[in-house]
Amino acid sequence: MSQPNPLVAGISRRLNGPQTLGNSAFFWCAWLLGLALLVALPLLVSRYQVINASNILISCILAMSLCLIWGYGGILSLGQASFYCIGGYAFGVVGINLIDAQGNTDLALLAGIAIPVVFATVLGGMMFYSRLKGVYIAILMLVVSLLLGLFMRQTADPSYTIGSAFLGGMNGLRPATSADPSIPNMILGFGDYVIAFDGRRSEFYWLVLGLTTAIYLGLRWLVNSSFGYVLIACREDLDRTETFGYDVRLVQLAVFCLSAAIAGFSGALYTAWGTYIHPDGFGVAPNILVVIWVAVGGRRDLTSVIVSTMLLSWISLELTSSGEISLLALGVILVLAMLLAPEGIIATAGAWIGRTVRRRGGMPARSRESVT
Amino acid sequence: MDFVGQIVSYFYQYFDNAAFLILAAVGLILIYGMMGVINMAHGELMMIGAYVATLTYNAGTPVPLAIALAGCAAGAAGIIIERLIVRHFYNQLLSSLVVTWGLSLILSQGVLVLLGPSTMNMPTPLGSFSVGDFSFGVYRMVLFGVAVAMIVGIWMLFRYTAFGNRAHAAMENPRMAEALGVNTRRVYTTTFGLGSALGGIAGGMFAMTAAVSPFFGQSYTPLAFITVVIGGGANAVLGLAYAAAYLAGVQTITSNVFNQYIGYVSIMAAAFVVLLAMPSGISDFIERRRMRSMQR
Repeated sequence: MSQPNPLVAGISRRLNGPQTLGNSAFFWCAWLLGLALLVALPLLVSRYQVINASNILISCILAMSLCLIWGYGGILSLGQASFYCIGGYAFGVVGINLIDAQGNTDLALLAGIAIPVVFATVLGGMMFYSRLKGVYIAILMLVVSLLLGLFMRQTADPSYTIGSAFLGGMNGLRPATSADPSIPNMILGFGDYVIAFDGRRSEFYWLVLGLTTAIYLGLRWLVNSSFGYVLIACREDLDRTETFGYDVRLVQLAVFCLSAAIAGFSGALYTAWGTYIHPDGFGVAPNILVVIWVAVGGRRDLTSVIVSTMLLSWISLELTSSGEISLLALGVILVLAMLLAPEGIIATAGAWIGRTVRRRGGMPARSRESVT
Repeated sequence: MDFVGQIVSYFYQYFDNAAFLILAAVGLILIYGMMGVINMAHGELMMIGAYVATLTYNAGTPVPLAIALAGCAAGAAGIIIERLIVRHFYNQLLSSLVVTWGLSLILSQGVLVLLGPSTMNMPTPLGSFSVGDFSFGVYRMVLFGVAVAMIVGIWMLFRYTAFGNRAHAAMENPRMAEALGVNTRRVYTTTFGLGSALGGIAGGMFAMTAAVSPFFGQSYTPLAFITVVIGGGANAVLGLAYAAAYLAGVQTITSNVFNQYIGYVSIMAAAFVVLLAMPSGISDFIERRRMRSMQR
């Protein structure tokens, strides 16, 4: 920043740091340009594509939640989609029960965050305080997700109703009787002052875009704060960090819960987007998708993860129209990326662009850049 | 005589569950226990074995030969995988986890594209016997026999053969082993191939009890991994026997008292309890107690 504007300088000090790629003025100009393009997207493309774009942004939030614990915290979870689905189910169940009485889904959205957090606290508490090895945590999370999916599949029995919501087994969450309301859209506000965000409209897209941006900036601030440094220390060497006097188990639990909150939030958005949630979300494919987005992009950088999630989701959408090969293609991309660019394709490319720009001397890079 | 039949039925279920866990885990134990790589594609190697066994059987091959072919095919696939991919990820636990998971996606989706989602079947051989009002399949008992034979076979392989010695040396101290002229790379490749072949044989044997589909293997990998982990690394082969005996016991009891689903959940809960009490697995725990009692 050439002009000494105290506000800009203060914000940039908070958001930039060694924990994230892209700290230069050049990066932020490109970032703003990208954001402007995304804001203008509904004016440029068809309505159907805007609906897909909303879903892709929701995936970006989910990917960021895994990036936070895996890339920054060093805790790999192969069952990240389970929090997403728990959040989705929580939003749906609470939404069906309260939409008629309250007229908004504020509480449902809160439930979509709170219930995954409670779940993560119990599970994470057991795992981190028993000092389970990282590999075991990864697999255990996958097993938990598969077991939850198995449970949700066999809830076709009518006894599985919560208030006016029926879990519905393989048919997905639905109202218990035809008199009950179906899964609501996102309706925010109080009393008569509510705004409804229909998942098929541009307003919902802008809402999700705003939330994604806010979470992105918030996480950038977090990982570059002093908590972020402790987090990285836990990733690099758990024992040494503990010797320095940090309660590493608490740090890990905290970041695990935060990640669950973000994943659950994205799940709630997903349910509101499609007014639909299904046990298949707990399966292997959704869980591996999240890992692919994060690993291919570059698990140690938030920006790379977002870019790769957008690109890969778009690729799989394009491929879905030409047969059943989208997961196969993503698997090939993952293995190739792990072999050729272990730090992630986008992160490697981003670091290269950063170096090139600096060498050309076009714009001086502000701080220590490539840290990965 | 209904009472006797019931008792026999419980034992039958117990041995069936134990055989299931051992067969699913026996290939993985070589790869994880000896090399420290978690092969998430293990279930998919079993799936390949199951397909090869079913296809060759339906083409007229006798059952034992079909299963041997299944083992060869999976072993060959394992060697290719190790050479091309896994080799680059030794000593990177989480990365090897992710890359082999990606591989499992490629294998299952590839088979889905090639052969379609329809399931294939193979008849269960050897008929059944009955005690009281209960009837039991003979083949399930054969499965248990094969599982035990595999454990003993692996143990003997690593105890008495030159390859076993070289493998031990390569696991304990790879650089020293290399200095003494052991080709560690070839040891790793062979071990990986052997583990994969055992997985393929297990897959071929399971093909006669379950429908074969591209996603046949997905449910095996986590269960197999749990079994291996709680078995522990001090004496991986014996640990596998302990773990299977323990987990199968828990599963048999809970799935009889409650239902199948609770049975699966209880396996995880039981594994968790073990990891809390003995963080490095059952065989480590037993080994350490024995060492301590010997010192006294």
